[in-house]
Amino acid sequence: MADKSNDPAAIWQNMIGEMEKGFNAFANKAMEAPEFSKVVNQVGGVSAGAQKQLGDMMEKYLLTMNLPSRAQMVGMAERLQGIEGQLNEIKALLHQLHNNSPGAPEGGYPAAPKPPRTKRPPSAGGE
Amino acid sequence: MNASAGLDLADIPGRIQTEVQRAIQRSIKGVEYIATSGPSLGSTPKDILHVRGTMNLYHYRPIADEIYRVPILIVMATTNRGYILDMVPGQSFIEFLLKRGYDVYMLDWTAPKPEEKRLRMEDYVLDFIPDCVRRVQRDSGETDVTVIGYCFGGVLSLLYGSIFAGGPMKNLICFTTPVDFREMKLFQNFSDRRYFDVDRLVDSVGNVPPEMILSSFEMLRPASRAASQVQFWENIWNDEYVKSYRMFDRWATDTLPLAGEYFRTITKDLMWDNKLYNDTMSVGGHGADISKITVPILHAVAEHDHIVPYDAAKPLIQKIGSTDKEEVILKGGHVSLVAGANAIKRLWPKLDSWLCERSI
Repeated sequence: MADKSNDPAAIWQNMIGEMEKGFNAFANKAMEAPEFSKVVNQVGGVSAGAQKQLGDMMEKYLLTMNLPSRAQMVGMAERLQGIEGQLNEIKALLHQLHNNSPGAPEGGYPAAPKPPRTKRPPSAGGE
Repeated sequence: MNASAGLDLADIPGRIQTEVQRAIQRSIKGVEYIATSGPSLGSTPKDILHVRGTMNLYHYRPIADEIYRVPILIVMATTNRGYILDMVPGQSFIEFLLKRGYDVYMLDWTAPKPEEKRLRMEDYVLDFIPDCVRRVQRDSGETDVTVIGYCFGGVLSLLYGSIFAGGPMKNLICFTTPVDFREMKLFQNFSDRRYFDVDRLVDSVGNVPPEMILSSFEMLRPASRAASQVQFWENIWNDEYVKSYRMFDRWATDTLPLAGEYFRTITKDLMWDNKLYNDTMSVGGHGADISKITVPILHAVAEHDHIVPYDAAKPLIQKIGSTDKEEVILKGGHVSLVAGANAIKRLWPKLDSWLCERSI
């Protein structure tokens, strides 16, 4: 069996793991300080505000250029997803109706199976 | 063996050959990685029962010939997508439950739209969850429902269960659910009320952007992303490793924005005032005291959870009103508790053995 203490690949991987742990522990210690929170929130607050202003400006610019913004495209994509979802819902209902109708051919499109709710736990059922 | 250096000289040619082969494989697989998309996730067959804004209710198609009487409603965390519980076949929690004979529904979330920034905690707890429970009851024809909540989905389930203590929730299962928010020490510091102006943030951005949520999670372990990329390159010759890395990486970075008003309540009521732990939480004027919950409960927590440390999750079982209650501490982290090889071996069979007796 290969000796892991002499395997350069294993040594390298171990070193990466140890460095990760060490850096995370060091950073977590630093992040526990109230000064960290103060600085991060000052910077974060300014950048969130700036990002919002930039976004608003960009939206106005795109509106002037008669172009859709990213938010509008995302909104449209999600609405399409919603429509697809509702179509699926209608499709499932139609299949259910079709399968329940007296003249439905055998082997038609399968509706969501509705197995009996009679299952018992393995111990109770003697499985 | 060379005693002075401790090297097995006979093994050196073999090692060199392996490393050369892996180096070649890394180049080939690296190109393949760029040229291909990751595995298809969340592909267990399901029907979309209802979609309303950010809320999506799915019903997974049963695959067993006979199922347990009580259906399950999974409430996903509002920051992440539900496909963490439905990765690829063989590694899907949903598939596992279906094979074991459960009838499974999931309340999953999509990104709230800008106009949904006014969604409040009330909308989630008093509207979305009860609406889904009613739809599960109607679809399954059963009155009782088992609720499973993951992370913040667990918090929402607890709030729902304490307000609707008279039913129809029959069993409650929580995965890594925080109750004592003081113990989420780094999040506490990030949201220190002296420096974190949540009103200004929400009023200026509307919905809290996913980048901000993601970076707050990544800041908990700032070196881990870089280290995982190094490890990924090391193991790119290994198809199984690459598949797993792609699945988890895609999910971890697929963070959802949070509705502004909802985030404001989380920050003020939970992070600042720790109301859930102090029994002073209320949602839409309804007291949400978890000691009112009396249904059987299982709480699964992870030994090495860096997002919800054990001390934050521990009081759940102490404070809940149920007599049939169990906490299980399993090896793993916040995500590996519920998905991946660790979960397949530990959490899933434990959950099945606990729930099967309570699902008839």
